[in-house]
Amino acid sequence: MLTVQILIDGFAISALYGLGAVGFTLMFGVCGVLNLAHGATMVVAAVTAWVVAGQYAANPWVAAVAGTAAGVLTAFATYFLVVRPIQRSSSVPAAEREIFVLTGTLLWGVMIQEAVAYFYTDNPKTVRPLIAGVMQIGGVRTPINELVIAVICWAVIGLLWLLVNRSKAGKVLLAASINPRALSILGFELSRVYLLVWTIYGVLAGIAGVLLATFLGASSAQSSQLTASAFSIVVLGGLGSVYGSLLAAYAVGYLETLTAYLISPTYRTVPALVLLVLVVYVRPHGLLGRR
Amino acid sequence: MTDTIRALLTSRSVWIALVVLTVLSTLPWVASAYILGVLTIAYYFGVFAMSWDLLFGFANEVNFGPTFLIGSGAYAAGLLNAHGVPMWVCLIAGGAAALLGGVVLAVPALRLTGPYFGLTTLVAVLLLQQFIIIFASSTGGEIGLTMNDILSTEAITNYWYALGFMTVCGAVLFTLSRSPVGLILQASGQDRIGASALGFNVVKHKLAAFCISAVFSGLAGAMMVFYLGTASVGTVVDVSVGAQVIIAAVLGGRRTIVGAAIGSIFLILAGEALRPLGQLSTFVVSGVALLVILFFVDGLMGLLLRRREEP
Amino acid sequence: MADPLHAPAPAAGARVPLLDVQGLTKRFGGLVAAKDITFQIRAGEILGLIGPNGSGKSTVMQVIMGLHRPNAGAVRVVGVDVAGWPPHRIARQGVGIVFQHSRPLHRQTVLENIMLGLLPDKLLKLVANRHVREKARQIAERVGLGAVLNRKPSTLAFADLRRMELAKAIARDPQVVLVDEPFAGLTSGEVHAFAQLIADFRADGRAVLLVDHNVKSIASLADRVFAMYLGERIAEGTAEEVTRDRTVRRVYLGGGIDIVSRPTRPARNAPLLQVEDVSVLYGKAQALERVSIHVDQGECVAVVGLNGAGKTTLFNAISGLVPYSGRIGWDNSDLRGRSPAAIARGGVVQCPETRELFGEMSVRENLDLAGQHLTEAQAAEQLEWLYDLFPRLRDRERQTARTMSGGEQQMLAIARSLMMRPKLLILDEPTLGLAPVILEQISNALEQLRNTTSITVLLGEQNVTFALPHADRIYVMEHARIVWEGEPSAFAAEVAATYL
Repeated sequence: MLTVQILIDGFAISALYGLGAVGFTLMFGVCGVLNLAHGATMVVAAVTAWVVAGQYAANPWVAAVAGTAAGVLTAFATYFLVVRPIQRSSSVPAAEREIFVLTGTLLWGVMIQEAVAYFYTDNPKTVRPLIAGVMQIGGVRTPINELVIAVICWAVIGLLWLLVNRSKAGKVLLAASINPRALSILGFELSRVYLLVWTIYGVLAGIAGVLLATFLGASSAQSSQLTASAFSIVVLGGLGSVYGSLLAAYAVGYLETLTAYLISPTYRTVPALVLLVLVVYVRPHGLLGRR
Repeated sequence: MTDTIRALLTSRSVWIALVVLTVLSTLPWVASAYILGVLTIAYYFGVFAMSWDLLFGFANEVNFGPTFLIGSGAYAAGLLNAHGVPMWVCLIAGGAAALLGGVVLAVPALRLTGPYFGLTTLVAVLLLQQFIIIFASSTGGEIGLTMNDILSTEAITNYWYALGFMTVCGAVLFTLSRSPVGLILQASGQDRIGASALGFNVVKHKLAAFCISAVFSGLAGAMMVFYLGTASVGTVVDVSVGAQVIIAAVLGGRRTIVGAAIGSIFLILAGEALRPLGQLSTFVVSGVALLVILFFVDGLMGLLLRRREEP
Repeated sequence: MADPLHAPAPAAGARVPLLDVQGLTKRFGGLVAAKDITFQIRAGEILGLIGPNGSGKSTVMQVIMGLHRPNAGAVRVVGVDVAGWPPHRIARQGVGIVFQHSRPLHRQTVLENIMLGLLPDKLLKLVANRHVREKARQIAERVGLGAVLNRKPSTLAFADLRRMELAKAIARDPQVVLVDEPFAGLTSGEVHAFAQLIADFRADGRAVLLVDHNVKSIASLADRVFAMYLGERIAEGTAEEVTRDRTVRRVYLGGGIDIVSRPTRPARNAPLLQVEDVSVLYGKAQALERVSIHVDQGECVAVVGLNGAGKTTLFNAISGLVPYSGRIGWDNSDLRGRSPAAIARGGVVQCPETRELFGEMSVRENLDLAGQHLTEAQAAEQLEWLYDLFPRLRDRERQTARTMSGGEQQMLAIARSLMMRPKLLILDEPTLGLAPVILEQISNALEQLRNTTSITVLLGEQNVTFALPHADRIYVMEHARIVWEGEPSAFAAEVAATYL
């Protein structure tokens, strides 16, 4: 009974963690950008979905699409208003560019968070589940929504896999993460590649944000926590490794679920953090990270 | 000796600092207790930012979680005090706890480069935060810890404590930055191999930089909680507090030490001044900071000194 | 500590070598970068360590410096074995280094940069010793920086930055001085002044190791020369002896220079690529100085020169990868302002010296990527043609690029460039580090390419023997300039003797 419950809950939450982390790590792997406005982007998507569902009384699926679109727009704003200007700025010394991008996205994230809180308060927003109701699995009453979340996350991840491994554009992305200079001399404009990555990122973060709203609710106050979760998982799995992020997401997701059910919800985050400390000290490049 | 004194006397940064300090010293006679209170916080923040600048500007290590050091010092002092330990001892213990934190942070730092280290420092803050929340029964969790002692009940006394503390810390850190040690630190940070080839043990110096940054951060954190009378996650550990420290240092001008203090004062005063905007005040301040990062890379000191960073 | 200004001349042939390297061996994974290297340098002696890229000379220097720990052998500095010590300890033991690329502290003045070299490695040094500033001033004056003591490095001329490196290296009066590429980037007038400064080191009684690509530049300074190739010693002796050594000549020139008769090309066509007065500055270093070349339709033009001559910089300027002054005309339009990707799509495709393969992807994936600009049919056709040109690639279609041998990787790199159906193929050092057997295969492929297509080729090579049979015309580059231009037949007569 309990086992099945843990298995299901853990699966759903891990899938959600995974989706968020994959976007984050892809952004780093291909563009070299650690987007500290990640959590804020997810929150924008969540709140937009809530607004559309509430104010316009739209059905949850329409709200979900609207939320995802908001995620993409936020990603574009982050790229064009913050990241790209810093990367192209001549007054920033090359060695410090990364730091400035980090600080810039951090500030931008705070700005988004505060703007959302200003207009919509920082109360948690929830969206009606995409498919309501419960069903019995292995004797456990499970909200269908949890399954929907798991399915959607994995479908998206699957599509991403197809894109990267089976499509022409995907091969270009993969190549960009290995050797951007080589791509340039083979006639590919890197600026277009980066635009594609930011779009994909926006979609991933947007969907993750919307699903979070249907599952646990999202509030602007959670922005930094969401960013922190994503990059903890990514550091654990290895910066730049998509497989690593998924592996780590499940490790963290299940560790949390197990702890919450078997020990106490208060200590939920402890084992994952201990794991993180171990990894940082013993194998700083993560479980599957590239050196 | 005359060299160092000559360097200090001819430095424009020193004169700017002296002018600002003189102005600030006159405030107890003209400003309200409210303003003095805001500035008191700003001065402790100034020490946070100056410590950060030493590490970043000189050893070239970006600490994205300065609140790991600040929080360690603050909570160590707070917890001891909650058990009746006298204030003086708590302050020293706070500095020591932060020092330990600095060493803990330095170990992966010296092996990691680039984004990995930055992320490690952020993770450290997360860990500390979770740790405090989980053991809420002893630490007060998210609500916070109430101190047994406080520095003073008088706004003016607190103001002098803070200003004096910031001045002393600032003087020490600034002198360090302009001394041979500072030169070696800069070399170690800018060019590890070059510094080694000149006979300097880079690891030793970077470790020292971490420790110095840690001690000052922790001490300031401890002082601040004795001023506030409470220690809470929201004021000394949260990632957003750390972000503000970094913003203050960058806004004021990287690698100037003095700039970090000026940036803090500006930031906190601006935040208060915009309070009527309510929620939007943080938005505006962050926005301004972002613009500074994009267009005035050398910050306020850069504007004041009209100096361009060498490429 | 001896005063550098007034050191007495050392007794000739002082007995204990100041630098004694015995059986030094260094492996990186499976690659043997240096094998059983032995030499000594005595007080008042200059040894030149020469070798082409990949010869291991840089590795030897890095091991002496302490950047790597040797797998075997000893490095004795004034009698003490320092192998495996950390760099800062070796430096304090008496080794000074002049790096190839200047590395000043940008926010400090010249004087402060030199003072750094005089500071002790103490944590609590809040106040410098009285004498440090004065001593730094003396050292600065010695190397010719007396006038610029209070300036910041960004305002200094290139030669002065190099002088500052010399000053830093001798600040603590080391008995051993290592100098990496002493004259790179200097004008001939500056070279003379620097040579004098280095000769002064010898007069001080120090042991000096000069590391460089070719013998010519250090011939007048070095008392002895030690030549390396692929990690091993190939010759040792005076500069003249080493220059005449047959193995050395083969390694640098690729063998005897025989001219194979070329099929006569039709009368000169319109120039396809026109490089006019192009100069490139890397920071302060003149990487390319007013270079002009032209390549006509269907020609194969070879640009020969040793490492550091400027060939790669020239190619990078053409491909839009570095900023330059001057004009580069292509097919009746100016290449300036176009992105590197646009230039590649426009028909100028470079196969770089570093190959730049997508290591984690397979041979087929690498080729497919390059073929994305073509239609499916065109790409398939081109792929087949390339597999015929390089049969080895067909066999290894699914193999990960990174796991292939050097020769196979080079073939893949060339094939990948050809997938784009370039009008002009720029080949930068295709034979670097490859075994003769592979060289021949690549040579044959190049021949076939020229016979079956109308492609134009710009070939950059150090290995003259490889380049000559293919070239319609040759440019010789040296120190960022074109120093000779002509036909292969004239090359053998006029240049070959003095090339090395």
